[in-house]
Amino acid sequence: MTLIEVEKHEVEEPKSEPVRVRGLPFFPHFLLREVVVMCLIAGSLILLASYYPASLLKPADPFDTPTPIYPEWYFLYVFGFLKFWTWDIGPIPAKIIGVTMPMILWYGLLILVPFIDRNPSSDIRRRKLAVALGIIALIGVLYFTYYGIVHGE
Amino acid sequence: MSFLDKIYKWLDDRFKLRDLLPPIVKHPAPEDVISNPLYCLGGTAFLCFIILVITGIFLAMYYKPTPGEAYKSVQTIMTAVPMGSLVRSVHHWAANTMIAAVMLHMIRIYFMGAYKKPRELNWVVGIFLLLTVTTFGFSGYLLPWDQLSFWATKIGTGIAGSMPIIGGYISLILMGGNDIGAETLTRFFAIHVLILPMAIAVLLGMHFLMVRIQGISGRL
Repeated sequence: MTLIEVEKHEVEEPKSEPVRVRGLPFFPHFLLREVVVMCLIAGSLILLASYYPASLLKPADPFDTPTPIYPEWYFLYVFGFLKFWTWDIGPIPAKIIGVTMPMILWYGLLILVPFIDRNPSSDIRRRKLAVALGIIALIGVLYFTYYGIVHGE
Repeated sequence: MSFLDKIYKWLDDRFKLRDLLPPIVKHPAPEDVISNPLYCLGGTAFLCFIILVITGIFLAMYYKPTPGEAYKSVQTIMTAVPMGSLVRSVHHWAANTMIAAVMLHMIRIYFMGAYKKPRELNWVVGIFLLLTVTTFGFSGYLLPWDQLSFWATKIGTGIAGSMPIIGGYISLILMGGNDIGAETLTRFFAIHVLILPMAIAVLLGMHFLMVRIQGISGRL
């Protein structure tokens, strides 16, 4: 039998002065607000579900294409951009650009946001460029969503 | 000593609750985080996630992932199973609300500049969460096997499949063949109920742990 000696430090913690932090304790203040919001959301979901139940159309039929068909609303901007972009760039066909731009470049750009924006200030007045680009991106996504709705297949 | 006190003491003797609890219970939350409803968006998404897990488990008890049975089993859920229609509809609405909440949460983080040092990696994890959540929606959409789900998936796999170089592989991996069929349905089911839940659990764990370590960016 092997005995392992484990040194046990009785850490003498110096009586630390309580640190003053601006804010309210997690329990009960923060949790109370969370519970109120949770009740509101859970209630709204049940209301929505009872008034507008999830739909179930006719069974899937690969030989009967319905018109118009749309993807889910959160993919409409991808779909809209694909419909919007009809120009070939050099040897790259329009369709490849239409698919690559929103799915690879857009998500790539999103991931890189904190590494592109090196401005340390989080004051909205001192980051006019970032805010302007953000608003342009938002309007773009909304516009292509609209475009996708109008040009459904 | 009340009964609850006794339970507390029993647990405290064994797990040193008096050392474990205060850092959680007394952890300070910045005042404007409590007063500003914009800070609810992340929590809203998380609540939707919990609701989706619970309703999803109940749906999985009745759902049958084969082209012959899928539609019929959803029909049974909607008409014959007690509260089935409510559970499926709540699952549907919670899913849409979750995606909307995640997007709005991201917009808030962007405009408040909350992704800046030291929180860069939490933003990256957040983008992966956005991807996971939309993939959840995409994979769940096919499962009822009705006209809408079939043709929406047709568009979706078509778009993913026309990506340069990787497109062909992605579409083959997703559909398990050249067209949407039985293989696609079981794959989407496995992705929806096995792969993505594990992925999102890991990502959410990282997301929350980083918030816990770094604190909420409370500067407006």
